[in-house]
Amino acid sequence: MSNLEAYRAKAAAWLESMVPTFGKEARKGLSVEEDLAVGRKYQRAKFDAGYAGINWPTEFGGQGLGHLEKVTFDTEEMKHGFPSFYFGISLGMPIPVLMQFGSDKEFVKERVLKALKGEEIWCQLFSEPAGGSDLAGLRTRAEADGNGWKINGQKIWTSWAQYCDYGVIVVRTDPNVVKHKGLTYFWVDMKAPGVTVRPIKLVGGDSHVNEVFFDDVKITDDHRMSPVGGGFAVAIATLMIERYVATDSAGFGPHLDLFVDLAKEVELNGKPAIEDGRIRQQIARNFAMRSGLQSITARAMAMMQAGMTPGPEGSLNKLVAVRSRQKLSELAIDLQGSGGFGYDDHASQKEDWTSSWINAPTGRIAGGSDETLLNTIAEKILGLPQDHRPDKGVPFNQIPA
Amino acid sequence: MSILYDEGQQAIATESRRVLEARVNKDELLPLLETTGRYHDGFWTTAKEQGWTALALPEAYGGLDLGLIELGLIAHQAGRSLSGAPFLTSSFGAAKAIELYGSEEQKAKYLPGLASGETIGAVAFASGASALPAAPAVTLADNRLDGTATGVSGGLAADIAVVFANSSGTPALVIAELAGARRNTIDSFDNSRLFADLVFQATPAETLVAGDAARDAALHVLALQAVITAHEQAGGAEVMMEIARDYAVTRKAFGQPIGAFQSIKHRIAELYGHVELARANCIHAASREGQADFVTAAAAARLSATEAYDTASRDCVQIHGGMGVTWELGLHLHTRRARSLAIEQGNLFFWEDVLVDRLTGEAA
Repeated sequence: MSNLEAYRAKAAAWLESMVPTFGKEARKGLSVEEDLAVGRKYQRAKFDAGYAGINWPTEFGGQGLGHLEKVTFDTEEMKHGFPSFYFGISLGMPIPVLMQFGSDKEFVKERVLKALKGEEIWCQLFSEPAGGSDLAGLRTRAEADGNGWKINGQKIWTSWAQYCDYGVIVVRTDPNVVKHKGLTYFWVDMKAPGVTVRPIKLVGGDSHVNEVFFDDVKITDDHRMSPVGGGFAVAIATLMIERYVATDSAGFGPHLDLFVDLAKEVELNGKPAIEDGRIRQQIARNFAMRSGLQSITARAMAMMQAGMTPGPEGSLNKLVAVRSRQKLSELAIDLQGSGGFGYDDHASQKEDWTSSWINAPTGRIAGGSDETLLNTIAEKILGLPQDHRPDKGVPFNQIPA
Repeated sequence: MSILYDEGQQAIATESRRVLEARVNKDELLPLLETTGRYHDGFWTTAKEQGWTALALPEAYGGLDLGLIELGLIAHQAGRSLSGAPFLTSSFGAAKAIELYGSEEQKAKYLPGLASGETIGAVAFASGASALPAAPAVTLADNRLDGTATGVSGGLAADIAVVFANSSGTPALVIAELAGARRNTIDSFDNSRLFADLVFQATPAETLVAGDAARDAALHVLALQAVITAHEQAGGAEVMMEIARDYAVTRKAFGQPIGAFQSIKHRIAELYGHVELARANCIHAASREGQADFVTAAAAARLSATEAYDTASRDCVQIHGGMGVTWELGLHLHTRRARSLAIEQGNLFFWEDVLVDRLTGEAA
């Protein structure tokens, strides 16, 4: 057994032992607040067992291991439905950025440890009503105010903001220069006066994303994590931090086995649907697509293990998997006909076709829409021209709103 | 078997690409379409010289003892250059059938010739829409074959064929020398594949496997060929994507490269997805030879590679506009090849069923 396989086995055994306390069954029927409390305990258990900050430096409380161990653990963890998602953004981007760009090392270390133990949660305040895919188009502004700054404006789609202690934020500090030159990167205290968080209820019924309003929020200059006007580079660095994360060829929806089970149960024209050619074709095509993604991931892991850099084809995962999840979920509902109307907004997207279907659009938008990903593949991998950008070279305050 | 190519394997890919790019061009391929019975003999000469025919066969019979991964790499390059004479898969399939299921005498008799490329093999399993018919149209009695095997790839040039036959109600996998068979030429949309119906009339044949094991054996041979064909398809899809990309960055309309229009650039980005999924499935399938899930992996490779090649050749033509449908430009060589490869060694329906049977543990 390779070292990595030994690591996987050990992690899998530990995760298995956590199922009775933190697994899906144990969490059934909890409110979000109760579930978050369980989540914090689970995060603490991970920290105590040495599975928090797996690939982070030991000086900040990490384990000092490699990226492979991290992805291996995440892949195993994903199988159980633990309440780890509350900390996904926090530990995924803001905290690594804080470690890299935070100037006060003592302060940074304290925050990192508390975040690793699940005691504090951070959010990422990037998207705005007028700036989603066009990150540099944001309008929230910070003006010099004494020896600090004053923030005004609105952010949106901020995951878990209602439970967050801190956030990282990109704001406009100079509207007179081209759009991506006038941005600066800060951290903010989410409990500071003038910060208002308003949850947004999504189609699936949950409210994990928020609008966040900044109304004369005052921060000192030591909150600044980039040079003034140098925020765009740090924002891009944030987005580049996790280049290879645990993936799911099911697009974080139900496994194909569940569709096969359904097709065996449901009768179509008096015969099990699994005997229907249309259903068989969809199963076969989906299997081929998913096995392709799994092979891409397996190859990327093998390359990392060999000290090589994985190819860019890993970028296909989200694009291909979520689209197919959406269509397969539609088909699963279709297959049930008049038996397919039911909906339970507490059902898991990984196990319930209706929940998977109604939440699938989020997966095609969050973290880069299909269209943005296609542009990235076309421009960065295939060398096709950039889109026509009329705002190029134009000072921000002269771009037609 | 590793899913990362080692240095030797990478050298095979680089060298075969270099050789094929130097020796094959579309002006030699276009005339092959206008008559029947001709193939790109430059390719086959090259394949013999380079030892590609011997690559995946045992050393004891003149082979090089390499495997699906190495032959797949060459097939990928052959797919890029459109040069794959059908024998790359058909001779390989026939040789593997003999290697895996033949007697010592049969191996000694046929394998060295197939390894050197002097003997050309064909695989004749299909009967119309069925790649592996429940009741094969060719019957075996007293070591003689009767009946017609339809649409045999390479059938016009093959010296021997491995045939899936019906022997008093049970299947049998047999070898027949084709000197004793009639060949009815099929005038095809891809004439360089040498498709023929093989008509057996009391043609002498030797049995490789008889009884129910013959069906499993035939499916295994088809799966081996399918993996090689899928590599060829992935190579074809890849080059179609590249040609589409190259055209989109040079051709201008409305004052800018057409590749700046999202309708074009997204179409090409989608092709990248098809190509990479097909490639990943091909590499995976080649690495699963000898494992329990080999046929499943081969089926997945076949499905994604067929979709990739059809889509890429279709979209590449569309991106070229009117020029794309001219005889001279030659994109249609790929359009044709995409379809002929799609129905050689089992069509999509066949592999979809094989795959679902495997996944559900039962046949429909």
